[in-house]
Amino acid sequence: MDFALNEKQREWQAKARRFAREEIRPLSLPRDDIADPRETFDRDIIVKGSKLGFRTMAVPKEWGGHGTDFVTQAVVMAELAKADSAISKTFSQCWKWSHLIAAVCTDEQKERFLKPFLADDLYLLGKGISEPSAGSDNRLPPEDDPKAGLKLRGERHGDEWILNGEKCFIANGSVGKLFFLDVRTNPNAPLRQGTTMFMVPRDTPGFRIGKVFNKSGWRFYQNAELIFENARVPHANIVGEVGGAVKKSGGQGGDTTGGDLFGDLELAANALGVCDDACEQALNHARTARQGGRPLFDQQVIQLKLNRMHMLTEALRSFVMRIAWEHDQKIHSANPGLAMNFSTDVIQEVTELYMDVVTGPGCRRNHHADKLTRDAMIWSHLAGDSVQRMKVARRLAKAVA
Amino acid sequence: MYDLHLASEQLEIRETVRDFVAREVKPFAIKSERLEALDRALPLPLLDKASQLGLRTLALSEAGGGAGADTLTGCLVAEELAAGDPDLAAVLTETSCLGQVLFDRVMTSAQRDRFLPLFGEDDRFHLALADREPDHDPSLGADYHRPVAREPAIRTRAVRTGSGEWILNGAKDCVANAPLAKLFVVTVTTEPQADGDGIASILVPRDAPGLTVTPHEEKDRWFHGACGALTFQDCRVPAQYFLDGNVAREHARLSEPIAAAINLGIGRAAYEAALDYSGLRIQGGRRIIEHQAIGTKLAEIAIRLTVARNAVWQAAWAADHPEACDGGSLPDLPLAAIARVFTAEAVHRAAKDAAECFGAMGVMRDMPLQKYVRDALISLHQGGGPTEAKLEIAEALAGFRRAPAVSARAAE
Repeated sequence: MDFALNEKQREWQAKARRFAREEIRPLSLPRDDIADPRETFDRDIIVKGSKLGFRTMAVPKEWGGHGTDFVTQAVVMAELAKADSAISKTFSQCWKWSHLIAAVCTDEQKERFLKPFLADDLYLLGKGISEPSAGSDNRLPPEDDPKAGLKLRGERHGDEWILNGEKCFIANGSVGKLFFLDVRTNPNAPLRQGTTMFMVPRDTPGFRIGKVFNKSGWRFYQNAELIFENARVPHANIVGEVGGAVKKSGGQGGDTTGGDLFGDLELAANALGVCDDACEQALNHARTARQGGRPLFDQQVIQLKLNRMHMLTEALRSFVMRIAWEHDQKIHSANPGLAMNFSTDVIQEVTELYMDVVTGPGCRRNHHADKLTRDAMIWSHLAGDSVQRMKVARRLAKAVA
Repeated sequence: MYDLHLASEQLEIRETVRDFVAREVKPFAIKSERLEALDRALPLPLLDKASQLGLRTLALSEAGGGAGADTLTGCLVAEELAAGDPDLAAVLTETSCLGQVLFDRVMTSAQRDRFLPLFGEDDRFHLALADREPDHDPSLGADYHRPVAREPAIRTRAVRTGSGEWILNGAKDCVANAPLAKLFVVTVTTEPQADGDGIASILVPRDAPGLTVTPHEEKDRWFHGACGALTFQDCRVPAQYFLDGNVAREHARLSEPIAAAINLGIGRAAYEAALDYSGLRIQGGRRIIEHQAIGTKLAEIAIRLTVARNAVWQAAWAADHPEACDGGSLPDLPLAAIARVFTAEAVHRAAKDAAECFGAMGVMRDMPLQKYVRDALISLHQGGGPTEAKLEIAEALAGFRRAPAVSARAAE
C-alpha cells in the first residue's frame, strides 16, 4: 500500500492549486451572482486554464495531449472544484469525452476532431443524452417498456443521417463545439439496441441552441437545450457502430472508455473539492469568529460539527483516490458508482454543516455558504437520486451473477 | 378528554385563506420572476387583499376591530399563507402578532385612541419591532448552562428633554417589516450608563424626524418577509409614546409557534408539488409514484410534515391554554422551541426529497422546488438555528435558571 502521489502528480496538483486560488476563486462568487444564465460563463478563464493544460490533460500523449492518469485527474478536479465546482466541471467535461475519443474513435475521426480540440483553447465538448421526457429511462431503461428512453430520431439517407428532436440540460450546451449525441436510430428496438452515438459539431446545419437552463447551483456551467431540425450529419461521424451507443458510453455493467466510469469518479472528486473548501472555511471561521466573548471554536457543538465535516470529507477522499487508482489499474467494479452516490450524501451534509457553522443569528446570507449548498443540490439528480443508487446495486448484482 | 376537532370558525378561516392562496397567491408565487432568489419584491397588492380579508388584524381583539384569533388559528392561517408565499405570511403574521401585543396588551388608552384608528383603516399600516442592535449576538451559545446574567446589550438611548419629549439615538438591525412598517416599537435604554438597566419600549412613527429606514438588499436576504436597518439621529417622539411592558418578550412568545407554522407551509408546498408531479411524470413505464423509490420518499415527506404539524398545533394550543401545563395535561417543556426546531429540520429534509422527485427540474430557478429548498434552509437558520434552539431546550430540560438579566428585572 502506498498513498503517496508521485512527482508528476504533485506537479499537476500544485499547478491546479495555484490556478484555482489565483484565477478561479476571485471569479467564483461574482459569476454565481449574475442573474442571466447565459452571462455567467467566462471565456477568459477557460483560455487561461486551457493554456495550462487543464482542458486537454486527459488526451493521450500520442495524440498530443498530456496523458495524465486517473489519480492525477482526480487530484486536479478536486483542486479546481475547491475554488469553483462548476468551473472545475467545465474542464473535466472535456476529459470525459476525450477519453471516449481516444478509446473508440477511428484514426480518421481523431484526425478530424481531436486535432482541432487540441488546437483551440475554447473548443469544449459536451454529451447529449437527456430529453424532456427521457431522464431516468435513459439511465435505467425499463424492461417492460421497450420504447421508453430518448426519442431524438436519426434516419439514414445515403451517406448522411437526418436528425430530428431535442435534448435538454446538455452540459457545455451553449459553449461547446462538439457534441456526442445519443440518437434513436431504431425506434422499434429497446434503448440499448436502438441507439447510436454521433459526433455532431456545433456548426452542423439544422442544429441550434435553445434556452440555457437557469439553475440555482453550478451557475457558471452552461446546460442548454440542443434542437435538431433536419440536421444533417455524415455517416462517418458515428462513434463505433450503428446501435452501439449505450455500450460505448457506459451501459449497465459499466464501460472502460470514459463514459460512466469516468463520470462517477468525476462527480465524487468534484464533491471532494467542494468539501475541502467548506471544511477549510468553517475551521477558519470557528477559529477567528467570537461568540459570547470567546472563540467560536471553544464550543463543543462547533467542534462536533467540524469533526463530522472533516470525517466525512476524509472518508470521501479515501474513496475517491481508491477508485482513481483502481481505474489506473484497470480494475472495474461498482465502486465508482458507490463513491459517486456517497459523494452526494457527503457534499450535502458537509455544505449544510458549513452553513450552520458560519450562519450566526443574523438576517443576511453568507454568499459563499449559500453558493456551496446550491452547488451541492446538483448532486441530488446527477449522482445520488434513487435511480443512480439502484443502477449501482444492479452493477453489484451483475458482478456476482 | 383528548379532542383534536377544530372549531367551525377555524375550519372556515382556513378554507377562506386556502381559497385566497389558490386563486391569488399561488399564480403569483410560481411566476418565474418571483422564483428568482436575487430579486423578490414584496407583493403589495396581495398584502392589501389579505388585509381586506382581515389577516393583517387577525390576532387583534374583536373589540379592537380584529378577528381576535388565538395562536392555533394564527398557525392555521400562517401555514396556508406560507404554502403560497412565505414572505407574504411573514409580513402579515408579524403585524398581526404585534397588533395584539400593542393594542390589546401594552398601550395606554390614550395611545390606543391615537394609533388604533390609523392601524385599523389603512390596509398598508404594518407594524415592526426594532429590538436587535447591529453586531449584537443574542445567541445562548457559549453561555449555555453557565451562571452568567445575559445582557440584552441595548445601546439605543432615549433621553427625556425638559419639555417631556424623548430623543432617540442609536441603530437597529434585522428589523422584520421595517421596509413597510408605519409604526415601530423600539427597544431603548433610558439610563445614561449602558449597564443594561432602564430598558423600555417607545413607539416611533415612520415619519418621525431623525429616523432613517434602510431596507436590506434583496440579493442578500436570509429571512422571510421584509427586513431592514434603522438609524435614529436625534429622533424626537412625544412623551406619551413611551410604553409599559416588555414588548419583545411577549412578541417572542406569541410569534414562535407562528414561525414554525410558516415553515410548515413551505414544506407543504414542496410536498404538494412532489405529489402532483409524481402522479403525472412517467418514467420506467409507469407514473413515478408507482415506483417504490418515489413512493417511500413521498411517504417520508408526509410522515415528517404530519408529525411536525402535531408539534406545532400542540405548541400553539399550549400558548392558548397556559393552564394546561399547570394541570399536568402538557409537559412543562419549551413546546414552541421543540416544535420550531423539529419542524425546521423536518421541512428542510422534506423539501430536498421533494426536489429530488423532480430530477434536474428540482434545481431550476424557473421551477418552485429550488425555492422551497432555499426557503426551508432560511427557516432552519432563523433565531440562531437548530443548535441554538437545542441549547435553549436543554437548559429548560435541566430546569436551569440563570440569574435574570438586569433588564428583565427592570421590566418585571
